[in-house]
Order: sequence, then C-alpha cells, then structure tokens
Amino acid sequence: MARRYDSRTTIFSPEGRLYQVEYAMEAISHAGTALGILADDGIVLAAEKKVTSKLLEQSASAEKVYVLNDTMACAVAGITADANTLITYARQQAQQYLYTYSEEIPAELLVQRMCDLKQGYTQYGGLRPFGVSFLYAGWDSHFGFQLYHSDPSGNYSGWKATCIGANSSNAQSILKQDYKETGITLANAKSLAVKVLAKTMDSTTLGSDKLEFATVSKGNDGKIAFHLFSAEEIDQLLKDENVAQFQEEDS
Amino acid sequence: MSIMQYNGGCLVGMKGKNCVAIASDRRFGVQALGLSTNFQRMFSVNNRLYYGLAGLGTDVQTLSEKFRMSVNMYNLKEERDIAPTTFASLVSSTLYERRFGPYFSEPVIVGLEKDDTPFICAMDLIGCINFAKDFVVTGTSSEQLYGMCEALWEPDLEPEDLFETISQAMLNAVDRDALSGWGAVVHVITPTQVITRTLKGRMD
Repeated sequence: MARRYDSRTTIFSPEGRLYQVEYAMEAISHAGTALGILADDGIVLAAEKKVTSKLLEQSASAEKVYVLNDTMACAVAGITADANTLITYARQQAQQYLYTYSEEIPAELLVQRMCDLKQGYTQYGGLRPFGVSFLYAGWDSHFGFQLYHSDPSGNYSGWKATCIGANSSNAQSILKQDYKETGITLANAKSLAVKVLAKTMDSTTLGSDKLEFATVSKGNDGKIAFHLFSAEEIDQLLKDENVAQFQEEDS
Repeated sequence: MSIMQYNGGCLVGMKGKNCVAIASDRRFGVQALGLSTNFQRMFSVNNRLYYGLAGLGTDVQTLSEKFRMSVNMYNLKEERDIAPTTFASLVSSTLYERRFGPYFSEPVIVGLEKDDTPFICAMDLIGCINFAKDFVVTGTSSEQLYGMCEALWEPDLEPEDLFETISQAMLNAVDRDALSGWGAVVHVITPTQVITRTLKGRMD
C-alpha cells in the first residue's frame, strides 16, 4: 500500500507521511553510533567507526567527526558520501558569513542553513533526501557552548546530551539517567561518553581503532579549540574508565 | 588622478638567509588629506606566510577578507597549511577573475616553503606574478623602493641584518613620496619565529 507513494519524495502519503524521509532515517539507524554531551566548559563528540579493517589507512581523514570552522565541529551518522557533500556546504556557508560580517557564524544559524538545504530536498526537485543526521558542537559569543541535532527532514533541536545512529535509543535512555543537569565538567562529560558507548556498542571490545573522540572547548588563550583524540589518547581514556579490555573484566 | 594613487601606501619584501621580511607603511589618506596612521595592509596566512596589499584601500580590505575565506576553506578541505607558491597562485587567479574590472591592488607575498626555503613574489593588479630572487616592491613609492633596495640589498643577510636593510629601504623611500609613510611595520619570518617591529619614522 505504501509503494504507490514512496517513489517520489515530494508528495505526501494518504496518512500524511513523507516515506522517503522516513526511509532516510531508517538508513541512519544502521550507521555507527554518534553521541554528543554538553558540559559547562565544552562539548564532547564521540562516535563508533563502522568501517574498520587492518588494511584501512587509519591516518587518512576522519569518518565520523569533522571540523566546520574555528568554532564548530560535527559528528555524522548515515551515508558518508551524503555527509561529505553537506559538510562542504556547511563550511562554505560559514566562510561566506565570515566574509560578509567579519564575525564567525553563530552556531544555531549554521544549523539552520544546513536544515534549510535538507528541507528543500523534501519539497522540491524530486531528488531523494540526504541520508545523514548530524550532531553539531559549537560555541558562539551569544549563547556559549551549544549542541544541536539535525535529521534528513530538515528538523533540528538543541540538546544537553543526545545520540544518533545504531542503538541510539538505548544510549539515549542511559544518557537520560546519568546526565547531571548542573555542574557537569568536560572531564565528567568525557567519562560519561565512554561509559555510554561501552554499554551500547555492538562490538564486545572497545578499542581506539573503532572510536573517534573529540572535544570542543576554550583554550587558555581564550580561543575555541577542537581536539581530535589520537589513538593513544583514546586508549588512555578507555584505560582511565576501566573499559579498555572488555574481556579482562569478569562481569 | 590615478585610482592606484588615491589612498597611497607601499610595501617591500626581501629574501635573506633562511628568512624573509616584509614591510609596509601605515598611511591611509584621500589624495592629499591624510586620515589614518595605522592602516593595516599586511596580513598573515599562517606563521610562515605573510602578504601585503597596496593600492585602493577598500580593495585591500575586501581582498584580505576574500583570501581569509579561501584559505580557511583550503585548510579545512586539504587538512594542511597552504604553501607559499600555492597561495601565490590563489591570489593570481583571484585577481585575474576580474580581468576586465580589476581590484585596484597589487600584492606582495613572502614566506618560507615546507623545507624552509625563502619565497617572495609580487603581482600586478591582474595577477601577473613576479617570482623575484632578491626583493619585491609595490605601491606609490615603488620607484623609490626599487632604488633603495638595489643599493642596500645583498644576498644571504641574517634576520637581524635583513631587518636593518628592509627598514632603511622603507624609511628612506617613503620620505620621498607624499602619499606614503606616517609610520612603518616590519615582519621578519624565520623557521622558528616571526618578529614584528614598528618603526619610528618621519610623521610628515
């Protein structure tokens, strides 16, 4: 019954649904988990890499976490190729704003630009929507550190902690329980992120080859710093949280 | 009345031994009326690459904003710093894009390449690159700067000596040009650091 209405993105089904958008979200639910946690002094972005192989050239570009400009970064879940296109678009929009106003683009505004683009693909052109969800971690002088989530429909909202991709509902409920409303530091956020990933990831062992971990925070010089953790740093973090070798714990 | 002589200002770049230097004056005016003694016409791309723009003030500002945008995109996409020769090509193509309605600005670019080799070049307003081996000049007192550089420059100057040479070339050249001067700034770039100094010159 749905078949008649899902070949074109730009039309509603009789029940008032946009099937292509829903199918896009379905694609994302099979992608590697990505989560973001907002702290008072920064934001943590952590993600599970799905494409892992000993043959993969690890030092080459990131798969899940990307820098957008000097004050913002994002994590993706979904079709990586779609994500790359959107990230290039976001970067261009951010630079165009900087060129026009000589100010860095406010975080929510960049999210809106992306969402306006994504929404267009659900209403015009007859092209399929982007099969990607984003978690944006950014800072601006108006609202400080912020975390946003956007989906293929072009909808977005601000979050204190959230998760996208596989097992995201699982992770979301753990975050709901464990996230402290006030007084959360970046260090707290990092350990919470590791704990949640350890509990929800598909693989039995957590290792630095399967994780991408990054923080957005303010450096001592007052400038916003994006720090993508190296393999050694991730291993250290996992060790600190006692989740390094799952099989070592006789649980 | 030439548009390139409307606001005034000049730049000089020099090669030294494992170092480069770039200097500019600080005057901004509207023909004979001087308005500012701290107009910025030199900009940094990163700590190994600096450039300056002489000519019409508004084009100096707009071009520096355009280059900031392009270099930011380059850094994000290529995940590395832009090389001096690559940046020179970027500037050249940006200027030539406006071949029949050009930006009235002539750049000077100085920097150190990946292997610390010094690099300098200058361009005309439509992007013709001059890859010089010794020094490059641009602005309303370019003729004076050519004379001073030709007389004072010698190869393989150490950073401190290069600083003295470029400073004397700048200070004495601008004193022979009504539209340049009102202070000067010098950047000396070495593999380890960038030293910026403001010169004390005649304020007339």
